[in-house]
Parts: sequence; structure tokens; C-alpha cells
Amino acid sequence: MPLAPVDETVAIGDLVRDPYPIYRRMRAETPVVRVPSVKRTFLTKAAHTKMVKDDPVLFSSNDPTTPMEPAFRAHTLMRKDGEEHRRERMAMQKAFTPKVIKTNWAQLYRDITDRYLDRLPRGETVDLYSEVCAPVSARILTHILGLDGASDAEMMRWSQQLIDGAGNFGWDPKLFEITDKANDEMDVHIAACAERLRAEPDDSALSLMVNAADPIPWSQIVANIKIAIGGGINEPRDAMATIVYGLLTNPDQLAEVRRQEAWGAAFEEGIRWVAPIQASSRLVMEDTQIGGVDIPKGDIVMSIQASSNRDEDLFEDGEDYRVFRDKNPHQAFGTGPHHCAGAHIARRTVGEIMMPELFERFPNMSLPDPEAIVWHGFGFRGPLSMPVTLN
Amino acid sequence: MVKVTYVAADGTRTEVDAAVGSNVMQTALDNDVDGIVGECGGAMMCATCHCYVDEGWTEATGTRRDGEDDMLDCAADEVKPVSRLSCQIKLTEELDGLVVHLPEEQV
Repeated sequence: MPLAPVDETVAIGDLVRDPYPIYRRMRAETPVVRVPSVKRTFLTKAAHTKMVKDDPVLFSSNDPTTPMEPAFRAHTLMRKDGEEHRRERMAMQKAFTPKVIKTNWAQLYRDITDRYLDRLPRGETVDLYSEVCAPVSARILTHILGLDGASDAEMMRWSQQLIDGAGNFGWDPKLFEITDKANDEMDVHIAACAERLRAEPDDSALSLMVNAADPIPWSQIVANIKIAIGGGINEPRDAMATIVYGLLTNPDQLAEVRRQEAWGAAFEEGIRWVAPIQASSRLVMEDTQIGGVDIPKGDIVMSIQASSNRDEDLFEDGEDYRVFRDKNPHQAFGTGPHHCAGAHIARRTVGEIMMPELFERFPNMSLPDPEAIVWHGFGFRGPLSMPVTLN
Repeated sequence: MVKVTYVAADGTRTEVDAAVGSNVMQTALDNDVDGIVGECGGAMMCATCHCYVDEGWTEATGTRRDGEDDMLDCAADEVKPVSRLSCQIKLTEELDGLVVHLPEEQV
């Protein structure tokens, strides 16, 4: 079979600004395509991205060419396969269950959300993204992880710096200096929290890990917490902002969501429409074929779930935000062994708490200028602000 | 082929023909049976394919597999002694006629 075709026309900047027209064209013309500017083979169809992520033996997460290891100063579970990955992940998974959230945390998360909403002035235009979406996500994550004492600003900064470092494909040493400093700060804070939680255990992820009968190594406990910091703020933040945009630009749907209390469906559609994590890499372990082309061993394929989520084979009008779909088999949380560990938390906190609280508090909220919203990002994507008028 | 019946939380029964060698989660997805999400594709990482094996079939489906207990703790709905992750129930000739009940919530 032939190798995948090459698309020389696509620059990273185009993907960062608006990848969706590019993905739509790729799905139609070259669903499996090499993109030299990103040094990856893009997979843009839902069947292919699912197949690759469901097969960790042929498509490994252990891609040594990513800047993740220097950025986190650790070989994290994101880049591991098999039993080692399962053991590290399960060490904290029980802090992320629906039952723990429902019984232990739901009221606290409602109170946190209320506290941030209380601060907002009525009748004015405020940036929900920076006033609610980001800090509420940060505050809730601090509790889930057991990092009490870290401020919203610290959590958001650490998270962004880890993300920037992990995305430092240009290997700019300055960015690693920044992550080194953030890692120093996080190491000190995590160690202090661990000491407190050894004395007074709770249901947080850090407490579960340090107090386990057979704990994973300290280096991996710290790495797990950093992964959760890096991955636990921007996704709920971007998901929330995206859903607000989707609902406010589709008032008929918002009315129906309210009538049916279909906040869960509004959430699922938001993350399908603009997946906060748009793409993920896998290393090809043996020569293989995908979609009628040869994929050689050693190639790095990129599962573009952002594209899969709009695949015409699965979704009618996939380019539009439409809450009331018969089925919504999106891949925003991924699939396979690396399926998002925070999926249940995101659904419970954003879908069941943050969204309904926000729209109950400000029933006549409006988006004065939808066209002015700037969307940004290739690996991670979301709006950069969400100025709404509160009523 | 073997028959599998899914009983939804509201009592609706859906009987489908399933391939031997497939599993109860995949069979549900292949046949558009509502009430099973199976988001991780059978990697035992999401607990969104939770089912209750009908009392008459628990012996035939056997015991939970390694790691399944831990993941069931992450299920959205109540976990009972007959709870299984349906991705871990592989279909054999002996399971022809299997009945599983679905929880109200998977996510």
C-alpha cells in the first residue's frame, strides 16, 4: 500500500487559529495524512482514532520524543502503558468516583461555585472565563487533590506552565526554566500537604495515595498530582466557557435545556463540539495500515479527537452546537486505557453543579458580541475570554 | 450467534443476536442498546458499562476479573453483588439466553 499523503499546506498557526475547516477537508479528502509542520501523521476519522487508542500494544503512549518528561521532571503515567500505567492510575482513581463526589463533596462544590457567583455584579459585563470558569475549576481541583493552601492563582499558573512545558516542542530552554521553578514550588507544597494528610487522612487523591497500604513510589505520587494539576483546570474551564457560548448563541436550545434540566446533555455536546483536549500522540510499534495506507513502525500518529467529534459518519450537523442529539458518541474523554481519569468529576462538577448554578443565578445572561470571542489552540482548545452581561 | 437480553432501568427489554467471542458491552453498542456507554472501549478504565447480571445467570458469567472490583467502585450507580462491567463478560455458547439488567445511570 502507499504511504499516507503529505499535506504541506497546513501550518501550526492555522491549526491554532481554526483547525475545523482543515479537519473537515482532511476527513473528506485525506483522512490519514502526514503533516510535516507538526511532524505527525494525522488521523481525522472517528473509527481510526478509536481504533488507535483502543490498541495500546500497537500504538504506545510511550512516545520518547515529547517534552513532557522535562516539563514534569518525571516519566508520568500519561506516557506509560500496561500494568505500570494501571497501577499508578488506580492509586488515585478512587478519589475521582461519582460516589465520593456525591456523598462527600457535592455540597462543598456548590458552595464554592456560589461564592464566586456572589462576587459578580449584576447589570454589568464581566469575563466569566477569568471570574468563574478558571478560578472555580482551580478551587474545586485543589480540594479533590488535597492541596489545600495553594491559591487559585498558584494553581492556575502551575497548570498553565506545565501545559506550556509539555507543549514545548521547540525545546526552548527558557520554558523549561519556568517549569523547573514551578516544579520546585509544587514539590514543596505537595510534600507539606502529604505530611498533613498522613496525620489527618481525607478522601483527596493525595491522601489516598500516601495512605495506601501498598503505595506507589513518592516520585510517582508527585507526578500524578502534577498531571492532575496540568489536566484538571483548563479542561473544565474551557468546557464551561464553550458550553456557555453554545447555549447563549442558541437561545431556543437554552430554553429547552432549562425546561428539561438537560445540563448533562448540554455538557456532553459542548465537549463534543469543541473538545478541550483536541489531539493526542501515539508511537507506532510495528508496521501497520490505517485507512488503506501504510503506517511504518516508529511513525507518530496523532489522534485528532476534535475531528472525530465532528465526523460525518457519526454526527449530523457536527459543526453546530446541538444539545438534543439522539446519540452523542464523542471521544472528548478519549478511549482505551488512557480514557480521561477525570471524566466522572467533569460531568458531575461542570455538568451537574457549575452550569445549572450559573444559569439559575443569572437567568437573563447574554453574550453581547459573540463574534468578538477569540478561540485558540491546537492541542488544547477553548475561548480566550467569555464576556457576558449579567441579569 | 447467541441471544442476549438487556433490561433497561424502566423495564424495557431488548433482545439481540450476539457473536460468540464479543462481549456484553460491545454487543450493546453494536445494536444501539441504550443504557451502556462503554466509553473506554473495554480497557476497564471508565465504569460506564456497568450491568447487573440476572440472578439466574451469575454462575454462568463467573466471577469478576482482576481489577474489575476496583473499577466498579467508580460506577455511577449502586454496586450490588451481581454487578459486573459488561466489557469483561465475554460471550460463549454457554451464555446463550443471557439476561442483564442496566442501571439508571452510567455517567
